[in-house]
Amino acid sequence: MENAPVCSTAPSSEGAALQCPLMAQIEARSLTKTFRVPEREGGLAAALAGLLRRRYRTVEAVAGIDFTIAEGEMVGFLGPNGAGKTTTLKMLTGLLHPTSGRATVLGYEPWRRESAFLRRVSMVMGQRTQLNWDLPAMDSFLVHLAVYGVDRSAGRRTLDELVELLDIGDCLRKQVRTLSLGERMRCEICVALLHRPAVLFLDEPTLGLDIAMQARIRRFVADYNRREGATVMLTSHYMADVTALCRRIIVIDHGRILFDGALADLARRLAPFKVVTVDLAGDLDGYALERLGAVLARGFRKATLRVPKERVAEVIGRLLADLPVLDLTVADPPVEEIIAQVLDGRGAPA
Amino acid sequence: MLLRSAFPAFLRMSLATMFQYRGEIALWAIWGVVYPSVAMAMWAAAVAGSPDGQTIRGFAPRDFAAYFWLTMVVGHATTAWDVYELGYFVQTGQFSPRLLRPVLPVWQSLADNLAYKLVTLAILVPIWAVIVLLTRPAFGTRTVDLAAGLPAVLLAAAVNYGWCYNVAMLSFWVTRMDAIGQGWFGAGLFFGGRLAPLALMPEALRKIASALPFKWVTWFPCETLMGRLSPAAVTQGLINQLAWIALGLVVFRIAWRLGIRRYSGVGA
Repeated sequence: MENAPVCSTAPSSEGAALQCPLMAQIEARSLTKTFRVPEREGGLAAALAGLLRRRYRTVEAVAGIDFTIAEGEMVGFLGPNGAGKTTTLKMLTGLLHPTSGRATVLGYEPWRRESAFLRRVSMVMGQRTQLNWDLPAMDSFLVHLAVYGVDRSAGRRTLDELVELLDIGDCLRKQVRTLSLGERMRCEICVALLHRPAVLFLDEPTLGLDIAMQARIRRFVADYNRREGATVMLTSHYMADVTALCRRIIVIDHGRILFDGALADLARRLAPFKVVTVDLAGDLDGYALERLGAVLARGFRKATLRVPKERVAEVIGRLLADLPVLDLTVADPPVEEIIAQVLDGRGAPA
Repeated sequence: MLLRSAFPAFLRMSLATMFQYRGEIALWAIWGVVYPSVAMAMWAAAVAGSPDGQTIRGFAPRDFAAYFWLTMVVGHATTAWDVYELGYFVQTGQFSPRLLRPVLPVWQSLADNLAYKLVTLAILVPIWAVIVLLTRPAFGTRTVDLAAGLPAVLLAAAVNYGWCYNVAMLSFWVTRMDAIGQGWFGAGLFFGGRLAPLALMPEALRKIASALPFKWVTWFPCETLMGRLSPAAVTQGLINQLAWIALGLVVFRIAWRLGIRRYSGVGA
């Protein structure tokens, strides 16, 4: 086994390892990143004034966050644009040095950029390519295997397997710049996984893809996590990615964690309602739905209600007794709505 | 060691990329011939207009032809462009994927550099041969000059590449690197002796040139190959080249460690 310390013996620039529970693979403690950005008013006068005196503002992109992710966990990292998701991922992959705080991934301090660490992690950046734009994808795959020191026959086997699973056989000989977005994204995922990383960071892996391609990539990531036992941290604007893949989510905004826990818990805590939808054989004919709950939608033969959880059984009984019900469904509110509640500050912080 | 498999792979990829864009690469290579050719023609004209019409400070037209032909070849062997490229990568965030790899990004840049120099030889060697036929340079090169001059060219390439990369690392602190790149390139032309042999420069400028790395990148290997330097001067020059390389490595280690802390991965 290569030089892969466990948490209790993790190398650290300060000589002291982070204390982390058994099997924790990613740990952040008071992790903070601030950027100093220049700013000025608009207009030529302000531009001239800026020649003499530059003004800077300190932006706290990540403001002292704490979390622990165990081996094999798949965690959704959610938040609006500029919340600090990508900055956090960049610190955890060693691309950025934190301003303060500590973190370990696989027991390593990422920003020390030790070769043994970099060989065991990978990051897929939806907006940034790891492939050589000018050459066929196959060339980038072969270079990747060599750069990560993957044994030739083992690398070939992994490559064949990934090519089949991701269905990119037709892309191998095409110049990367000529691939469609979906093809390129599958190639990006392929190249990121060729060295079989133990920790995978996915930053918007389905951005801009159609629904079928999103579903395909989701299935693949879930499968990789299951087969390899890899730890996965995922950011995505598509809630479907997160609900399909992650039981646990971390919601971040303005650099601060607002929620860290099971998606189901979040729904329970923040949405004490169920959404009841009925399809009818006849018209509603002025039936007083309002007595049963908040009416979210009302048609001639269909209605959707928001009903407090403790009244769901009673409401269903009333609907079945009073109306010619063809179909009736009870569901949790959409995750987007619940997350929006957290971000609006309506939800209790973690 | 990872680099043993990584560097040849980078080199193969760089060569493949060069083959993909052979037209652009050919134009860059030909551009490298333009400067020395202009200088060669200019100094030949200057000799014709000199008081004796034969030489300028010991350089006859065929000496100038030899000197500038050598600056052409040495210029190609020592060229480096990271001061532009690294700045672009850092500014656009394209540096991030390279940083994720378990080998230093400088190795990929070095492979690109070597690949360019190798591939363009196919275009440049015939051009260089034609220039020799046309200008009939007076090389005066002996075996002993070749024996000292070839290592001097290799060391010159190392000096220029290392210091160019060191200057390129300013891109961790400075957003726009184009002006710095132009300044670096211009200083190389002037103080390296690519516009005029350093012997023709005023004493004050020669002193400044001696304190900079450029002299050891172009002037020194060219003069060595022409057999114009004494054995002591050649030895001293090789020592100076080694000293610049050693200093460059120290600066690289420090600048890399500090620079990477500053990297903000914009747009990535």
